[in-house]
Amino acid sequence: MTADCARRYRGEKSPAATTFLAQHAIAAAAASPARWIDAERPTVQRGTCRRTGMAPALDLMHPMRSRSLATVTFGALLRTGAACLGLAAAAAAQSPPPAPAIPSPTTHWAFRPVQRPPVPTTAPGTTPFANAIDAFVATRLAHDHLQPSQQADRVTLIRRLWLVVLGMPPTPDDVDAFVADAAPLAFERLVDRALADPRYGERWARHWLDVVRFAETNGFETNRERPAAWRFRDYVITAFNDDLPYDRFVKEQLAGDALGNDIATGFLVGGPVDIVGSPDPVLTAQQRADELDDMVSTTGTAFLGLTIGCARCHTHKFDPIAHREYYAMAAMFAGVKHGERALPMPAAQVLELTELDARIQTLEQQLAPFVVAPVVTAAANAPGALRPPVDFARNEERLAPVDARFVRFTVLATSGAEPCLDELEVWAGDRNVALAENGAKATASSTLPGYAIHQIAHVHDGRVGNEHSWIANEVGGGWVQLEFAKAERIDRIVWGRDRLGRCRDRLPTSYRIEAAIESGAWQLVASSEDRQPFADAIQAPPGPVYRFDDVPPAAAAQGRQWLAELQQVQQQHKAKAEPPMAYAGTFVEPGPTFRMHRGDPMQPREAVAPATLELFAPITLPPDAPERQRRLRLAEWIASADHPLTARVLVNRVWQHHFGTGLVSTPSDFGKNGARPSHPDLLDWLASEFTAGGFRIKALQRQILTSATWRQASAPREPALAVDADDRLLWRFPPRRLEAEAIRDSMLAVSGALDPSRGGPGFSLFDVDRENVYHYHQKEDFGPAEARRMVYALKVRMEQDAVFGAFDCPDGSLVMPARSVSTTPLQALNLWNSRFVLQQSSRLADRVRAAAGLDAETQVRAAWRFVLQRLPTSDEAADAAALVATCGPPALCRALLNANEFLFLP
Amino acid sequence: MTTPPAHEPLLDRRQFLDSGIGLGAIALHHLLSRQDPQPASIAGKPPLRPAIDPGRPYAPRPPHFAPRAKNVVVIFCSGAVSHLDTFDYKPELIRRHGQPLPGNEKLITFQGEQGALTQSPWPFRPRGQSGKMISELLPHLATLADELCFVHSMQGKTNTHGPGENFLSTGQTLDGFPSLGAWVTYALGSADQSLPAYVAIPDPRGKPQNSVNNWAPGFLPATFQGTEFSANQPIRNLARPVDVAADTDADTRAFLQRLNQRHAQRFPGDTELAARIASHELAARMQLTVPAVADLGSEPAHILELYGADGGGSPMLDLRTAYARNCILARRLVEQGVRFVQLFNGAYQTGGEGVSNWDGHKDLQAQYSLHGPVLDKPTAGLLIDLQQRGLLEDTLVVWCTEFGRMPTFQKGALGRDHNQNGFTCWLAGAGVRRGCSYGATDEFGYQAVENVVTVHDLHATILHLLGLDHERLTHYHNGLERRLTDVAGRVVRGILA
Repeated sequence: MTADCARRYRGEKSPAATTFLAQHAIAAAAASPARWIDAERPTVQRGTCRRTGMAPALDLMHPMRSRSLATVTFGALLRTGAACLGLAAAAAAQSPPPAPAIPSPTTHWAFRPVQRPPVPTTAPGTTPFANAIDAFVATRLAHDHLQPSQQADRVTLIRRLWLVVLGMPPTPDDVDAFVADAAPLAFERLVDRALADPRYGERWARHWLDVVRFAETNGFETNRERPAAWRFRDYVITAFNDDLPYDRFVKEQLAGDALGNDIATGFLVGGPVDIVGSPDPVLTAQQRADELDDMVSTTGTAFLGLTIGCARCHTHKFDPIAHREYYAMAAMFAGVKHGERALPMPAAQVLELTELDARIQTLEQQLAPFVVAPVVTAAANAPGALRPPVDFARNEERLAPVDARFVRFTVLATSGAEPCLDELEVWAGDRNVALAENGAKATASSTLPGYAIHQIAHVHDGRVGNEHSWIANEVGGGWVQLEFAKAERIDRIVWGRDRLGRCRDRLPTSYRIEAAIESGAWQLVASSEDRQPFADAIQAPPGPVYRFDDVPPAAAAQGRQWLAELQQVQQQHKAKAEPPMAYAGTFVEPGPTFRMHRGDPMQPREAVAPATLELFAPITLPPDAPERQRRLRLAEWIASADHPLTARVLVNRVWQHHFGTGLVSTPSDFGKNGARPSHPDLLDWLASEFTAGGFRIKALQRQILTSATWRQASAPREPALAVDADDRLLWRFPPRRLEAEAIRDSMLAVSGALDPSRGGPGFSLFDVDRENVYHYHQKEDFGPAEARRMVYALKVRMEQDAVFGAFDCPDGSLVMPARSVSTTPLQALNLWNSRFVLQQSSRLADRVRAAAGLDAETQVRAAWRFVLQRLPTSDEAADAAALVATCGPPALCRALLNANEFLFLP
Repeated sequence: MTTPPAHEPLLDRRQFLDSGIGLGAIALHHLLSRQDPQPASIAGKPPLRPAIDPGRPYAPRPPHFAPRAKNVVVIFCSGAVSHLDTFDYKPELIRRHGQPLPGNEKLITFQGEQGALTQSPWPFRPRGQSGKMISELLPHLATLADELCFVHSMQGKTNTHGPGENFLSTGQTLDGFPSLGAWVTYALGSADQSLPAYVAIPDPRGKPQNSVNNWAPGFLPATFQGTEFSANQPIRNLARPVDVAADTDADTRAFLQRLNQRHAQRFPGDTELAARIASHELAARMQLTVPAVADLGSEPAHILELYGADGGGSPMLDLRTAYARNCILARRLVEQGVRFVQLFNGAYQTGGEGVSNWDGHKDLQAQYSLHGPVLDKPTAGLLIDLQQRGLLEDTLVVWCTEFGRMPTFQKGALGRDHNQNGFTCWLAGAGVRRGCSYGATDEFGYQAVENVVTVHDLHATILHLLGLDHERLTHYHNGLERRLTDVAGRVVRGILA
């Protein structure tokens, strides 16, 4: 994709349209002015709109955005016909838009330094606001002659608090305790309790994972899993629970390898990647350019609220980001590659390995008398000499590291009969990627029929010796092919006929080893060409070979026992020696970065040194700056307390997830094209508090959650609804539908089925066919393994859960700073008929019966308390009891789990 | 200028309250579009976003200008169909069979080096009044040569399947963007309120290479995603669970609606609550209408025969029948007014490269000998049936594939590698020229050289036929006012009737 943003239709309005519409405006105004002119704002002032952050009442350029047009006047207009269109025109005509201009750091609000504004004071004689947020909000409301709503009742408050902070409702006991708590600071204490609950991190990590397009598969057609990606999800959960200062959180995600947190750089490579390799250089260059674009764009939107990606093809049309600056930013990431990285080994594992090492040493000493002395030929040491000839026991091929998904070992000649391989190991660093247990698949030209011990599976089963070997069904030839679970950078291949040294036949003496990233595109990586010719007599096995047939039987038995133990301990060692892996990217020292003309990776222009954006205290690094230093300096630049964007953007995101909409309603665009803040002073006050307090997110949340603004009731009221239907001024708490994850988690919580276990590898909502391309089939029946919170569900790109995908659940293919909230009949069907919801209804009914016995009215009260945390009204109770009487408790539970009250934030 | 975020309610509460069923939105939007200035210049046109009534997201919405087509059927052949073995006749390929591709002797394409130019294993013959040359691989479609409008100069920008399918289906090579069908139903809703507005019918063998991303909603509201079902696979969670009795189901649903209405009384004027109540009613209607439309039992024998849905007993005939039943379903959906149907031929799920799709790298003749007959008669039957029922007057049929294939065989293989530089799509029905061949590839069929049509152009043209200006149909996401055609696309006037 060339994400050219040149003409995003933010354009100039057409003069013809203005004239046309203005004419109609006159007629419209004459028709029925009072119906659609907002009494509070009889005229449209662009400045006012900017200041309030609301859509202008009328806007010709974007008529559907005009607040009046889109909201206040629609119903009226239906009655007055064509009129309102005209008003839009007239208003816009009075206030022609300024010519588009690139804002400079001094003209655009978000690029100016954060200035801590004074907290508005109340009129003398009235009670001052306990919480600064309320002072800002009330002042703005008063400007429009609006009043805040009364405070919500306690049941609503705890329910809202639990759903927003923890992502599931409180238990009836939680509710009772809070309702009965007479302490003056009962709610403040409840907030502290919620923020300290580990479920908080699970809830809030999900918001961040949306912003950084986290998923656990590669996307595109192969869409393979990233089995080590979950560590980043756990990292984010822990960061929220531990209240990791946000500046540190930023730095770790960009350069955690330099800061003692390797997992955090999962941010860099969290996006999709096309692993379909090809010898086609154009395709390869485009794929790499797309990878870098993902890193640059995501960094820009996530931390800075800037659409840096718009400058990939040309200088940004709206914000001060030059084409060259995009590539200077890309140079920051030029050494970052997708892939897993080994993490430092935990101390316990190191200790175990040390113990195993010692045991191996002891056993090897005990076995020393049985070792067959090796014979070394002089020629092997001569400079430029050929490699030693092939060996029956073990042969090693060292390769120039090459990316491969396939390796093929072709036998051209043997020492006699059909060839045999007991094990074909392919190493990527310290991992044998050929092993079946690592997901590799083996195929062969043929297999000697009739022998269980010589099946193809033995060639990569991790077991050596003739008893676990493959033999072809072709005399003097044949091939074995391995396909790895994913593309690997391989550097070593080890193979043998019988690692135990017993069999000295069937040895491949002439062979070729080829690797390919895509089936068919073979590349020769090793062969017998550079080995000395094979001659059985001069064999010198590189590893020790033991003989027990020339010693007394008792000694031989002891020796064999030691050898068996040695092999067992070596296996254990091998298993333990695997370091923990994380999908956190790998780093290489990059070459120069070039500006790409029109974003075309085949059109490089001048070299560009790594540098930050110029809109704030820019840093430029030398063109050959070390890879890690690039990311570290970028991280420090972004995480600076003085950066005008970083704190504002984060504070706004946090606000958004409390109120449904940010103070800036375009949370990932603080540029000129983004929305203006509804409460600019409040945003800056919160940002300055945030940085001054050490970037603590929980402190910010405590400030918000304890405000009277957040504690307001949510019922709509006239006349406020008429003035500010979207509640941007916060005259009530805005209710909204819960997200997919919160609905699923809440259902499990109230049914009692929720498995609260935290962290670690996730569960899957899919059955997976792991072919070359992975196919995902939605599960319908779920067991206890799928009863964990949805944040622990393996996040599969492109695929959606059969029930909750329809609830606007993003798939991690794109950054999703604000989810859609749509309503569809498929959502209704999914909640009404799916096995999942019926299972939960049934579980809940069991719980209701256990708590309430057989009396229908008692059951109804219990069900209401579990699901809605309140008692039913008398109408509801009678209606529900009748349903229970005819259809039983599961029917009632099914209805309650489908109720709007259950699915909406109160 | 302020920009409403994507997650705002689709329409304001008060409007919903006032208008009851959202007629206001429709009326106003209609006026807006009618009073649209002439599309004289591309730059600077303000977006025309549809006004969507949250209670009736599928309600029909007026286009920007008078449409030529009301419905669309996209037939997507997954795996990349070779234009050189189907519709793009190249005598020079026959003449130079066995010679290298001139000027590109060292060309490296997706899988590597190229062998020699290779003529199609299937001979081409002139067809219909127009004498259009079409290969013997597709004899039934060939009889419709005078009805089809071929675009021989298609050009993509990627030679990998995943990004290629994304590009055709969403206008972007990357994952995660809204599909064509999502954009269309977002703009126009649907004529029928008791069926999904947008149906995706996967191949009987499984999903295409980029799976459900081909019918994804992307950042558009999930309402507009393609609903997946086919003749042999019902909509998930549509049917009443077997262990819930019909009476119980009905009583419980009635109770739920009363519960929700009591709740809504505490939030007067809340459109989202009202929309959810309405969505249950729509869901209940779908439970009746969808099984009815998906039941092919009433189709007479001659219709089954027309589509080739009456055979069986060989792998080809079994597959053909299964695909043909999907074709019949597509017609039945269009007949009911479903706005957008996406019908797939070819899957990646049960065999991969060339085996169950059109990706003929290794042994093209053997593989296409299966895929050709499976596609041919049912697709031709669909066109004939739509025509004889008068549905082609209002229905646009688009046949497409993610890219084409090379005029050479791959070195050491008996098939053709990927080629995004030139390939063929065709259109038929509402608003397009009949018996037309537009654009051309070079003498070997390697690159589009005459009247090049990009994927964006194809999309712009489809939207145009539906009465939509592709430059004005937008949705705000993550800092950008996005559109289907990105920043490109022009309507291909030469193929319009």
